[in-house]
Amino acid sequence: MVERGRSETRMYRAFGSKLAAVSVAGIAVIAAACSSSKSPSTTAASKQATTTTAASAATSLSSLESYLPSTSKVSLTETGSSLMYPMFNIWVPQFTKQWGNYQITTASTGSGTGISSAANGTAQIGASDAYLSTSQTTANPGLMDIPIVISAQMVNYNIPGLSSSTNLKLTGAVVSKIYQGKITNWNDPAITALNPGVTIPSHVIVPLHRSDGSGDTFLFTTLLTDTDPSGWGASIGENTSVTWPNVPGALAENGNGGMVSGCKVTPGCIAYIGISYLSQTQGVLGEAQIQNKSGNFELPTPAAIAAEAASFASSTPASGAISLIYGPASDGYPIINYEYTIVNKQQSSATVAQGIKSFLAWCLDSRYGATSANLSQVGFQPLPPSAISVAVNLLSKIG
Amino acid sequence: MTLVAATPHEKGVNRARTAGDTIMWLVCGLALAALVLPIIWIIGQVIARAIPHFRWSFLTQPTIGNGGGLSQAVLGTLVLMAMVGVIAGVTGVGAGIYLAEYARRRSAILLRGATEVLAGVPSIIVGYVGFTALAIGLKWKFSIWAAAIALTAIVIPYIAKTTELALRGVPGSFREGAEALGMRDILILRRISLRAASSGIITGLIMALAISVGETAPLLYTAFWSVHNPTFGLHNSPVGYLTYPIWTFYNYPVKSATYLATESAFFLVILVGALIIASRLVSRRLSRYMPLGQG
Amino acid sequence: MTTVFAPELEKAPGSNGSPGRPFHMLSLRVARLWGACADRAVPWVTGVFAVVPIAVLVAITVVLFHEALPAIRINGIGFLTRSRWDVGSGYGIPIKVHGVEMAPHTSYGAWPLILGTLESSALALVIAVPISVGAAIIVVEKLPPRLSRWAGICLEVLVGIPSVIYGLWGILTLGPFLSKHLAGIADHVPDVPVLRFFRGPTYGAEGLLVSGVVLGIMIIPIIASTSRDLIRQVPSSAKEGARALGMTDFEVVRKVIWPWTRSGIVGASVLGLGRALGETMAVAMTSGAVLGTTAHSIFSHMNTIAATIVSQLDSAFADGTGFEVKVLAELGLVLIVITLLCNFGAKLLLKRFGASAIAPAAMGN
Repeated sequence: MVERGRSETRMYRAFGSKLAAVSVAGIAVIAAACSSSKSPSTTAASKQATTTTAASAATSLSSLESYLPSTSKVSLTETGSSLMYPMFNIWVPQFTKQWGNYQITTASTGSGTGISSAANGTAQIGASDAYLSTSQTTANPGLMDIPIVISAQMVNYNIPGLSSSTNLKLTGAVVSKIYQGKITNWNDPAITALNPGVTIPSHVIVPLHRSDGSGDTFLFTTLLTDTDPSGWGASIGENTSVTWPNVPGALAENGNGGMVSGCKVTPGCIAYIGISYLSQTQGVLGEAQIQNKSGNFELPTPAAIAAEAASFASSTPASGAISLIYGPASDGYPIINYEYTIVNKQQSSATVAQGIKSFLAWCLDSRYGATSANLSQVGFQPLPPSAISVAVNLLSKIG
Repeated sequence: MTLVAATPHEKGVNRARTAGDTIMWLVCGLALAALVLPIIWIIGQVIARAIPHFRWSFLTQPTIGNGGGLSQAVLGTLVLMAMVGVIAGVTGVGAGIYLAEYARRRSAILLRGATEVLAGVPSIIVGYVGFTALAIGLKWKFSIWAAAIALTAIVIPYIAKTTELALRGVPGSFREGAEALGMRDILILRRISLRAASSGIITGLIMALAISVGETAPLLYTAFWSVHNPTFGLHNSPVGYLTYPIWTFYNYPVKSATYLATESAFFLVILVGALIIASRLVSRRLSRYMPLGQG
Repeated sequence: MTTVFAPELEKAPGSNGSPGRPFHMLSLRVARLWGACADRAVPWVTGVFAVVPIAVLVAITVVLFHEALPAIRINGIGFLTRSRWDVGSGYGIPIKVHGVEMAPHTSYGAWPLILGTLESSALALVIAVPISVGAAIIVVEKLPPRLSRWAGICLEVLVGIPSVIYGLWGILTLGPFLSKHLAGIADHVPDVPVLRFFRGPTYGAEGLLVSGVVLGIMIIPIIASTSRDLIRQVPSSAKEGARALGMTDFEVVRKVIWPWTRSGIVGASVLGLGRALGETMAVAMTSGAVLGTTAHSIFSHMNTIAATIVSQLDSAFADGTGFEVKVLAELGLVLIVITLLCNFGAKLLLKRFGASAIAPAAMGN
């Protein structure tokens, strides 16, 4: 008994001290942000904080007790965003290999389901590309959206006769017209004008959208609303599911997986697909360069995503809920977002609460879940330190 | 055929009439082919897609994310089938016995009507109600029992109907003979009626199980999905089952995921095929209790 | 035959068959008492079971009505005729209409879904009825018993194939096949009323046609098994008499079998229709799943009520006001009403032939 207790403590401590780095980094960031008002930018300050706090990690171990992995059997269900699904499928086997007492089921259902399942308690962790709406937080005051990684959304196409390695230039306004049925052919002057030097074959455009309630739809329609406020914004707006204009041939697909497969078999298609499906779209579907607010056309490269994320780092509120679409960074890719885990503050038992906290803390930790090796597989970027501190703060509320 | 020599005009008419026969049998033959062809096509496709990627580890390994095997789903499907077999079997056969043997005319009309209406309720409605009432309303969350109850609601009408029809098919002379010999009602039921009807009842029961293992819509919202072996808690006990990977992974752009879908379809076809064969064997074995032509 | 129950009579009730055991008066009395109790208990117990379907039906109706009531009040009768399906701006401030909370500018109209449900089911009937009746005629009138038994197994297999597998086949095999081979024809269909519906681009693997064909195959066993049983019931004397009068096979079918079975077959078809109306997964996989639009050609993407409920229910729960879930319940009620009307229609038509004419296969999932 004593032996077992001791070895458990050792286990705790090993994990805890590593997690401490994350959490203390977060706390230090807040401190840095408050105290060093003279520093040029919070990003710089937080970078500094991350590097300096690792050493002093041991100081606030007591506040981390709650993040230690449970030793009793924990059974968790994660459901929601199909964009996060590949990420969880990397994380969960690694985590459960190390902590065999955890049973975690992942499911790709859509952000809408992620939010609703966390709200009604059918799943402990909901994954969503969209933050919670006012009505959701009013209906479920216990619900939190905890940022966990940075993701981006690609705009893909399949044009017969155009190499998939040609990255067409598109603006949000043009894409909006395509989805409204106002531009129906790929060689429409509005598209060719953006792409001088590229011969675009004549082919009917088939817009694909998601059939399920989807955070991807939210991100995509936010871009269309921001770039075409009088058109898309006035008539349709942004939401996890919207009333798609009636375009002949328009197809609804279930999940990002359905979007990729659907676009592959539908000549002339255009689709919005999460970056985590990059390895499935590469070489098969074309990937568009999207015009950002400064007028530059960008691909969702790690650098462009990181640049865009950095421009929002300081404005992330304590609730975590913020749109990162169409931001100010001149070299940033305009469709990026925080991926959220939707968790209820009140869990059915302390064991479950501890299980969720420790798993998510593990995911956030750049030594465990958020390693560049893991994230690069799905094209994600780690949270900026300021966002980590927001996440850690939210995590601490789970009980 | 004609006794009197036919005039040329009559010959023409006769030719037209026999041609009508040929055309009709041709059309009917084509119809039969159109009925059989999709079966071969569907099952052929399922097998053709599954065999090249088949590994035994699909049966021994659980699902890991969108890869791995299907062992927990196979087990979940079998467990759900067993639970439905017991719950729906007892209830459905009981209901069928009552309808055939005891129900008065008016109550029989009511009960039979309700059974038929329930059979017509689309399975997704059962899923909706199972989710809102059991998973959310009673706070069971995703639960193996909610799943079993939803499936039971779907197959009870089928079992009740087949049981009732089988019992009604028992010749009245069987009962009358037994009654004349002074057998008690319960014994007549057990030893005569049920035995004579057993072929029909068990066949119906097995077919009901075949239907239940193929359900998806009611399970999505009650059993949900799990990568772990089934547990039997009332609360929070999601189950994996074989129709889920087909619906979820068939168009997932990762090979390991589409394999899960195609292998699930393969296992389901084997399971359903085995059930149909079992029902045929049972009906052949047990139909000896019935007079000729009734099995 | 008598040997089947002769041994049973020698045993006392409840002694559970060891013939060598001597009879005691006591055990006989216990057995009689048990028998008497059982005689009374069995009707009660089975009666309770027989009430279960009613109880389940009532529970389903109550839950559905309870959920749907606010939606029915808000949407009104216009729900059936409106086309727009707008879940509203979920990120806006919820509004209250007649005390019911919902997202701003929501609009729910079921018309495209009702139409899609009816269109796909009608298409299914057009495909299934001729195949079923034709196959039933040849199975009863022409095939030797051994082959007709195989045909019976085929029907069981069709019932047993899970609807997701039908959907899988529809989307991966049949859909691409149809769209490839019909594309050439569909372009040349003249652009005139009615025929216009069969004209136009075939798009990809999904749409009304694929859903209709898949549904058609799925309801074949219902119509075929009932047709087969009805044709078997045609008295052979009538057929023989007709043949003796010199009728050809075709004339026998047209003048004897068809009038005899007509209304029963129509009833079975309506029953098949009921099944097609409520089919969920196969349609959800093959329809194209678009909301708020009606099909303008047979190749158009569409959606049905059942497929919409399965694909929208979980995301509907993300509507913080809970209104969308209630709308889906209302949609479910609409589907149940349509299905019930069908089933009652079928019952009326089948009544002349007695309930047993409805083969159990008709009651599949």
